[in-house]
Amino acid sequence: MSIKVVIKRNTYFDSVSLMSLSTKANQIEGVEQAIIGMGTEMNKGVIRNVGLMTPEVEEATAGDLMIIVKTANADETESAYLAVEELLTNKNSAQAKSDIKYATIDSAAQGIPDANFAVISVNGAFAVREARKALENDLHVMLFSDNVSVEDEVELKTLAHNKGLLMMGPDCGTAIIGNTGLCFANAVRKGSIGIVAASGTGSQEVSVRIHDFGGGITQLIGTGGRDLSKEVGGIMMLDGIKALDADEATKVIVLVSKPPEASVEKKVLAQIKECSKPVVVYFIGGNEEAVVAAGGQFAKTSKEAALKAVLLAGIDEAGINKRALNVPLIEEVRAKLSPEQKYIRGLFCGGTLCDESMYLAMEKFNNVYSNIQKNPDFLLKDINVSQEHTFIDFGDDDFTNGKPHPMIDPSSRIERFLQEAKDPSVGVIVMDFVLGFGSHEDPVGVMLPAIIEAKQLAEKEGRHLEIIGYVLGTDIDKPNLEDQVKKLIDAGVTHASSSTNAGLLAREMVLKGDHHE
Amino acid sequence: MIHAKSGDNYFLQQLVDREFTGTVHSVFKHALNIRSVADGEIFTLATTAMDNAPNTLVIDLDTLDNLHIKQNDSVRMKRDQLLIEDKLQIGIQTATCWQCHLPIFPSDTTKLKNNVVQVKRFIDLYGKSGGMKRSDSPVSEFEAETSRLLKQRTTLLHDGLCNRRLDSFQQYALDLVGLGPGLTPSGDDFLVGLFTIILLEGSPCSIYQPLCESVIKIMKPLTNDISYTTLKKAAYGQVRESIHSLVCAMLSGTETESIQALKKVLAIGSSSGTDIALGLISGLEANIKLGG
Repeated sequence: MSIKVVIKRNTYFDSVSLMSLSTKANQIEGVEQAIIGMGTEMNKGVIRNVGLMTPEVEEATAGDLMIIVKTANADETESAYLAVEELLTNKNSAQAKSDIKYATIDSAAQGIPDANFAVISVNGAFAVREARKALENDLHVMLFSDNVSVEDEVELKTLAHNKGLLMMGPDCGTAIIGNTGLCFANAVRKGSIGIVAASGTGSQEVSVRIHDFGGGITQLIGTGGRDLSKEVGGIMMLDGIKALDADEATKVIVLVSKPPEASVEKKVLAQIKECSKPVVVYFIGGNEEAVVAAGGQFAKTSKEAALKAVLLAGIDEAGINKRALNVPLIEEVRAKLSPEQKYIRGLFCGGTLCDESMYLAMEKFNNVYSNIQKNPDFLLKDINVSQEHTFIDFGDDDFTNGKPHPMIDPSSRIERFLQEAKDPSVGVIVMDFVLGFGSHEDPVGVMLPAIIEAKQLAEKEGRHLEIIGYVLGTDIDKPNLEDQVKKLIDAGVTHASSSTNAGLLAREMVLKGDHHE
Repeated sequence: MIHAKSGDNYFLQQLVDREFTGTVHSVFKHALNIRSVADGEIFTLATTAMDNAPNTLVIDLDTLDNLHIKQNDSVRMKRDQLLIEDKLQIGIQTATCWQCHLPIFPSDTTKLKNNVVQVKRFIDLYGKSGGMKRSDSPVSEFEAETSRLLKQRTTLLHDGLCNRRLDSFQQYALDLVGLGPGLTPSGDDFLVGLFTIILLEGSPCSIYQPLCESVIKIMKPLTNDISYTTLKKAAYGQVRESIHSLVCAMLSGTETESIQALKKVLAIGSSSGTDIALGLISGLEANIKLGG
């Protein structure tokens, strides 16, 4: 055994860094034990207890940082210590590193003359000014900020349109431009399918399914959720379709949105007619006839939209795993649920994922409530209390005011999940877990203890509680999709292979002859 | 110039009433500690990512990175501005005044009892391990041994508290000071939580208040200056805003309010928030027991 001790006088690291450094130091090859901590008397006592006391450690004081490295052989000690020291140095240099930062759009545009794209995420009060500056500097804009008035949105989009630029947003959270994911997006294969979307997680889901079916993405252009309103008139979606029509790499176009306002839908469908490329239209709850009449390909679900797109792009159908619904499992679960367990509770981070499951449930039930229901009769009276079949979008303003979006911090669902799990009228709880750029590093891990607790509780009460989990992500996303799915399965959760399948499984599992409403 | 958003009443008074001078003690991404030349006391400048706290001024900055402020840089007041060399100027006139006023311990503890159960359950599920909460897979023998000692010593302190063993309180508390590798050692964090409860007006554990002060008088060499300042303030009923909110919610709020407040405390440091919350729980359970 060999020990190297270095005492750094009056040196302070914050606790999070110290813990992280300590964990990494103990993983260095050759290190049997590494301690990085403050030199208090009590810590020295612990060091004595584990047999690592040295004269240098004895002399450390409470304001000193102790670094102790123990290796099996003396010839490994110095190199192991240097590796630990490198961790500390990197931490310090990372803190001190000064990237080039520009205080204004104007200075950034001057400093990077080749730039043609600006991502803007500032307080809504300043967003319009910054977006206008970017457009005036001939930059395409992705505006993540919300709280922008509709009048300002129209002004910005008109300015962009007149200059031949894209004005994505306000409130645009997802884009893939030149194979680079911006804000919330997934790692997907480069390919020949372009997406224009007024819905963030809806477009993430379609891009992920396209990847899963063997296709790839050219560009994913976000429009912002309000683009297809009467006031804005779909300026960005129309420009997005034109841009993809003119893009040589794009062979197929997919449109994703909640149903547009009627006059705007007409404009979009007219644009499809003029488009030289096949267009798949996934307007959740939308009208098939109108789309077909315009020469578009209608898709009722996100999965169908992706499948149609990849087939149109020339992917061989025989080689596609379509992820068929697990019908025998549905029967199995129906048999386990008691007659009282009639209801679905959907707890979603992604708004469009919530919408998709909700619309699928609405095809079979007339008592589907939500915080994002279009029909005011079915809006939840109290968003904290579920009614019959309930689907909650935790990303809606009701839940995010002053808090991070649940895709960043999914823990906001935990309490509600446990509340639903205790409800004896609940048969199925369905949840999404979103991977990729911008999302939480371990969304399943965050929910896992609560899932285990809920399962145990139900078992104790002699109930079967069916929990369905859908992980939105690709095999090249971070964190690892397979690991996230395995965690769910190991915890007794039914894994749904797509957003569509999650909604269908939930609906079918509670759908029994005598409970059909 | 950067503006101060809010500040601890005592710190603001020190800045205004005296010609405050100091030196930079330590710099982190979201906090910068200053040692006062007059009496060596530690004061903190915190970014907007932090909450109000004793001896702390919250300034309108997201990060302290890239300001190139170093240990021992000089700090002084000039007119209404706090200056750190020529690297940072902070206007303090805009700061709203904040002071911690701990709530009164309630006579009806029905809500409290339920909230304690729920908060413990939540900590069990989501508290961070590595300190008071033992990790299933400690990274080293040192971490495992530290956790063992923390468990052993906090149990002794808690049992003594519940059995009115005033004679052993000081020693048991001192055995925790400085225990844990972090900037604020886990033992110190636990005591911050425990002292907070002891300091509540009407607290059945208030008989221990003078002993908290005597611990403070002895403990200075046993921990670092930053942690010492935090614990010293707690011994006089001054704790950061998130801890104050959790105590209020647990004493008289709903289960949901308690969990919301707990989440903010759990976000403190690495395992510090968990350790503080467990200290609060220990004190509240002792109060419930002693209060009958």
